[in-house]
Amino acid sequence: MKANKLDSDSDIQRRFRWTGPFLEGWSIFKQSLLGRIGLTLLILFAVMALCSFIPPWIDPMYNPMTGVDPDISTTTGPSWRHWLGTDFMGRDILSQLMAGARVAFMVGVSAAVMSVFLGTSIGMAAGYMGGFVDTLLMRLAEMIMVMPTLLVVLILSSVFGQLNIWTIVVIIALFRWPGVSRIIRGQTLSLKQRSFVEAAKVAGASHVGIIIRHILPNVLPLAFLFMTFRVTSAIIIEAALAFLGFGDPSTVSWGMMLQWVWKTGHMFTAPYWLLPPGICISLITLSFYMLGRAMDEVLDPRLRKEDQAG
Amino acid sequence: MSAGSAKASLGNDQVTLKVEGLKKYFPVHRGFLQRVSGWVKAVDGVDFEVLQGKTLGLVGESGCGKSTVARLILRLLEPDGGRVIYRGSDITRLSEKEMKPLRKEMQIVFQDPFGSLNPRMTVGQSIEEGLRILGMPRPQRKERTRELLEMVGISGSNADRYPHEFSGGQRQRIGVARALSVEPSLIICDEPISALDVSIQAQIINLLEDLREQLGLSYIFISHDLNVVSYLSDRVAVMYLGHIMEYASADELFENPLHPYTLALLSAVPVAKPGQDVEIKSLGGDVPSPLDPPPGCKFQGRGPLVEERCRLEEVDFWEPGGGHQVRCWKVGEG
Repeated sequence: MKANKLDSDSDIQRRFRWTGPFLEGWSIFKQSLLGRIGLTLLILFAVMALCSFIPPWIDPMYNPMTGVDPDISTTTGPSWRHWLGTDFMGRDILSQLMAGARVAFMVGVSAAVMSVFLGTSIGMAAGYMGGFVDTLLMRLAEMIMVMPTLLVVLILSSVFGQLNIWTIVVIIALFRWPGVSRIIRGQTLSLKQRSFVEAAKVAGASHVGIIIRHILPNVLPLAFLFMTFRVTSAIIIEAALAFLGFGDPSTVSWGMMLQWVWKTGHMFTAPYWLLPPGICISLITLSFYMLGRAMDEVLDPRLRKEDQAG
Repeated sequence: MSAGSAKASLGNDQVTLKVEGLKKYFPVHRGFLQRVSGWVKAVDGVDFEVLQGKTLGLVGESGCGKSTVARLILRLLEPDGGRVIYRGSDITRLSEKEMKPLRKEMQIVFQDPFGSLNPRMTVGQSIEEGLRILGMPRPQRKERTRELLEMVGISGSNADRYPHEFSGGQRQRIGVARALSVEPSLIICDEPISALDVSIQAQIINLLEDLREQLGLSYIFISHDLNVVSYLSDRVAVMYLGHIMEYASADELFENPLHPYTLALLSAVPVAKPGQDVEIKSLGGDVPSPLDPPPGCKFQGRGPLVEERCRLEEVDFWEPGGGHQVRCWKVGEG
């Protein structure tokens, strides 16, 4: 029966060759409990983000930013009209929460993509070129690594005033690449020594050709893994900034919601308002983290259990 | 093509590759400021030549600089001294750009069949890489890849598979196919069989021999196994600590080995008849550190005949005739 399964697997691989490594990875991923939980949670959050346009479409009073219930001017608990209650000026908390999911994905994913892109290119350049370039780039990475991102953003926003959400994303990306680049550099250094890179040189391949065709495909899985961890840190940084009052005032993020709770003095009187954004921040970061751990298992055979290795 | 006619017009004793006084010193960094505190003389003045259609065997223990020689010839490493002459022209100082047309003349087969193929490329893509760089159009490349795979005994339909689907021996064949793709005249085999099972070693050796006859290739065959080298090679160079200790035709080396190191290597080759008493001339001492080698003969402290003079004088080759060269004055003086 097992042999049968293997046969059909390789059959699929033969028909769609590029999917081969992906399917193989998926079959290992499936067996990880962490991975399944993480992925399920993420899908829920994604659905939440995708549905965030529905409440304002049903009734303008459900608009997360500008919609105010005409009958309510203060915070109220859950009701049929407002499933999670309303905030201090009568805005619907559930629709804010859904809009917050969209912002979290936007901030997390775009900051992660940018920082991983930067980290991967810089890491590959440093590892491949070596020598002076390597030293220069890695010292720069270390300098940035020891700067606390949050503090730098706080200083910048007190210098330049309120920061736009995209500015915050870019700053997070600019300060979060060094960790990625160190790992990618290490991987590049070891790949550079492998015979297939020497074979490419003997075949007359250019340096750019070697990086693109031989190094990049081999570091890409690792870069993807890092992306999931970077999403987590970007969401946390954005939430912290918003909570401290340095967020973009024109977006409704979960950190922003927490700040409203705190600023209006409802920290201990309105749990229906405080808990949802808090739980959402914890859960979304946890689920990205679990996803990353499961992907780690796929990429590093040493982390797999015995029966999965074969 | 011009390259083909040039090959045909060459006589039997044409020199394909000549290496003169090749040197490579690696700096050793020490301390806080990473100052250069010494040099590892990995290759320290090596001379040999490879004739058209012949095989040169390069034997020696691990760390003696065999693979460094291979990388110096292919300009994967920059030599610190000496010259590499390919078909009469010095290629030691060529820039990377000037080197490019010569790349198709010299290829290499690596030791490690698992590291020598990119795991994220199909074997077909690996084989055709050189052809792609030379600008051959895609349909022709596919056709040629098929041919090459068949030539090394793998079905051409396997071109779209990934390296992990093949065994070590098959991967080594794929490595040979990749080396052959650009129709080189010289292939450097850097311990191509030492990572393989004994039963598969023979297959690869036979394959290499057949290909040499079919295509008129020259080989530099690097190995630590004197038995294999003797079987494949026309001439053999025995290396020790970056020097060539003995250089002779394969037959001569086996019938009349002179250097104590060669004798020790030969006596270490297992004998086919069990029970037969063989005197194993195992060596005393250790290999000195290449970082700080002693003055005088590099082999002192290990040979059976050491005298004061071995510790003092740098030894030169002694030539007993017939192209045989030995770096040991004791042997020379009887």
